[in-house]
This record gives sequence, structure tokens and C-alpha cells, in this order.
Amino acid sequence: MNIVGIAACTVGIAHTYIAQEKLENAAKKAGHEIAIETQGTIGTENELTAEQIADAHVVILAIDVKISNRERFEGKRIIEVPTEVAVKSPNKLIEKVEKIFEQSNQEREGK
Amino acid sequence: MNDNSFYQVYFNCKLETKEEVHNFISNIVCQNNSSIKEEIVNQLIRREEAGSTLIAEHVMLPHIESDHVKKSQIIFIRLAKPIVTWDYQIEDICLLIVLLLKRNESEEIKKKISLFTRTLADEEYLNRLLNSKERYNFEQEIITI
Repeated sequence: MNIVGIAACTVGIAHTYIAQEKLENAAKKAGHEIAIETQGTIGTENELTAEQIADAHVVILAIDVKISNRERFEGKRIIEVPTEVAVKSPNKLIEKVEKIFEQSNQEREGK
Repeated sequence: MNDNSFYQVYFNCKLETKEEVHNFISNIVCQNNSSIKEEIVNQLIRREEAGSTLIAEHVMLPHIESDHVKKSQIIFIRLAKPIVTWDYQIEDICLLIVLLLKRNESEEIKKKISLFTRTLADEEYLNRLLNSKERYNFEQEIITI
């Protein structure tokens, strides 16, 4: 599965970067491709490319604040959680993403 | 650990409640002005209300950005005894890693702090800090950027 996402927290110095690390590690461990953009106090880092977004099956938004350029994900399957979910339970979050992805695939095949 | 004031360690700190921790942090920011100290405490409380700063079992990451912070710092507070009840959800806190960010801090320092916070995603690293019983060992474990 290809995953892209954004991490952004209130102060933009702590949870943003821990969430990014944890999501990337959890997704890679589960065998997925992942790229997480951070929108923190430094500004935008690891900015997602149009190609990465186009290829993504799922978008994870681990955010506590309004983010920039959200419209890039229009039409994509979006899973939005507070950053603390990504920080505390990244593996469970990736499992949930996998389930949602499988369910929507089954629904699509059933049509 | 080098004598580097960017990182500060308070080992075996005898703080017993969340309030004592907040007061301790506010004292680090400002020792003399009670209204500034109150503001710092309120900022810490507001940050926690916005979302838990618990980053792993037994470890919290209080952090603020403030005009009153004169020098950005990373502060390790290793408690002498765990705080059994932090609030109605969080218990058994042994280690606090406090980020104090000066308002309008330079890009360079912000990047340094963000690289440091990324290291906190490693639970084995946090466990090593939690399991260090002596100040020297604790300081040796700290990953400085």
C-alpha cells in the first residue's frame, strides 16, 4: 500500500516530528511505502509531490491544527487523527488504515 | 555529556505532582516574576488541554513557545519517585523531557530541536533513559544533536 500524510501539531516542534517518525517506522515495518510531510514551526518539510499523492492509496492526516494545501488530497481516501494517536499507537493506526483500505477494496469489487 | 547549556539535566528530582512540575519549569524560565511564572504554567496547562503530551509509557514531553523564554532549551527531569497520578488519565510518570522554545527562534535552533524530537520516537532509547539509575549513565544515554 502507498501511504502519504501530514503531521502537524499546535506548537509545531514536538508531536509533529515524533508522529512523522513513528508513522514512517510503523508503515515500513508493515511493508508499506510511506511519505509524511511535516508542517511545523520550521515550515513545510519533506513536501509531498503530486506524483506521490497521485500514487497514494490512503492519506493519513495526523494533525491538531489546520493544515496548508489540504485540497491536494481531494478525492483521496483520508484518515484524520490527532497527532497523539500517531505518537501513542502508530502500529494500531497502520492496522486500522489497512482494514479501511481492504474494506473499501471489497466494496468496490462487490459493486 | 558535555557541559552544554542547551541540554539541562535534573536528576532525582523530588517533584510529586503535575503542579509541582509546572512550577519547577516556570522557575527555570523565570525566577523572579510571579506573573510570568503564572503565564508559563498556564501555557503548559493549555498545551496539555489541547492534547496529551504523554509520548510513551512513563514519559511526558511538556513544551511551549514563549516570549518569556530567553534561551531555547531541552530539559530532562528524571524524577526521584514516579508521579503516580498525573491526571485522571495519566499515571506513573518517571521522566519529563521539556522543550522550551524562544519565540522567533532561529531556523538553525528550531531544526536542531526538531532533529532531537525525532529521536524520541525510538522507544528503546526512552527505555534506556528510564532504566538509567545513575546520573552519569543517564547523561551518557542522552542523544545530543
